[in-house]
Amino acid sequence: MTAPPISLNGLTKRYGSFTAVDGVSLDVAAGSICGLLGPNGAGKTTTFKCILGFANPSAGTIAIEGAPLTPATFETLAYVPERATLYDGLTIADHLTLYRRSYKNFDPARAAELLSLFSLDGKQKAQKLSKGMRTAVAITLAFSIRPRVLILDEPSSGLDPIHQRHVLDLMIDAAANGAAVLFSSHQVGQVERAADSVAIMKSGKLIVNSVIDDLKSGEKVIEAVFAGPVPDLGGLASDPRIVRIEQSGSMLRAVTRDDSDAIAQRIFALHPKSIRTIDLNLEEIFMNAVSEGAR
Amino acid sequence: MPTIFTVDPRSGVPLYLQLIEQIKRAIALGMLAPGEQLPTVKALALELTVNPNTVARVYRELEHDGVIDTSPGRGSFVRSAGAGHEARQALADVARVAFESAVREAKSLGLSREETHELMARTIARWYETENEAE
Repeated sequence: MTAPPISLNGLTKRYGSFTAVDGVSLDVAAGSICGLLGPNGAGKTTTFKCILGFANPSAGTIAIEGAPLTPATFETLAYVPERATLYDGLTIADHLTLYRRSYKNFDPARAAELLSLFSLDGKQKAQKLSKGMRTAVAITLAFSIRPRVLILDEPSSGLDPIHQRHVLDLMIDAAANGAAVLFSSHQVGQVERAADSVAIMKSGKLIVNSVIDDLKSGEKVIEAVFAGPVPDLGGLASDPRIVRIEQSGSMLRAVTRDDSDAIAQRIFALHPKSIRTIDLNLEEIFMNAVSEGAR
Repeated sequence: MPTIFTVDPRSGVPLYLQLIEQIKRAIALGMLAPGEQLPTVKALALELTVNPNTVARVYRELEHDGVIDTSPGRGSFVRSAGAGHEARQALADVARVAFESAVREAKSLGLSREETHELMARTIARWYETENEAE
């Protein structure tokens, strides 16, 4: 087995007494897209800065294609920062020229194709570009070097819905060609669509790291209504497959992490008046995770 | 192949299950013929804007269920041998899921076993009679 293109092991970054990233271990395999979610200040951008070498980890290791960062790593690694850093005095075409000189895998035909995809004019100076256009330039540059490892921080900020969809398609195309993609987003729907796995950070810690479809298969809400007050639940309350149980009056709500059918059968044995299982989408799973904290 | 699949990534139903159901349905209804080639994983992922690994999982499960054949380098095809049987099986699968959700719904609304039975008997009578009259 070859090493995963992106591999973080116990990554920790402290600033004084503040721990921004706290023991994060995460692998992204070739051909995989991992969506990183988390509230503001969860440590997503700091994690990216550590991967890119802009920040020096306090503890833990980072391996790109099995090795620590070296100058050669940057030939295969592309990064789109949250705020694109461009040379204000240079045109978009100048930026492409800079990239052609710096990256031996730079594909000018691909770059031209992406410029037109994002309706960008090469003659425009960076200074004149809107936030969304700057993001589009950064994305054009990143995908033009045909990277095997892609790190994108909020890659659709400022983009209209059509251009946002193009960004998702570019990530999907790259992954289908074997690249490993790690991207952060505040739009859960984008992660739900383009990513196969999701990582959720809260207060520097990685609290969820799972295949999205497997999360959805396991995490359900079972809602039961009883004729009178909810009866004694016996061993159900301590069942490891249940994340938590809420009761109010004659209503019981159980959030499962696994085997919801079996749990529903157990609740059904308590003779509720009605029972139903509710599927949860990623947004609901995300909200549950960040409101509960680590699990 | 024309676009015949629509998935809803924002649903709580796992994407791969949605896609498996839709492909089985397309085969059962003859929208995909025996021997017909399915799009490549990459092509279908890009067409639907969904993750390629998810599409690959769908193809693996469909192959495991005996609905499609995948040969390396050639692609994935709707299985030809015993296609009629597979299509019926796929159709029964789709029907079973719909049936289960209807019964679950009835139960969740608090209907008794007898009430649900009666409701189903009436529904079956209505739809199968309509078919007989049409013949």
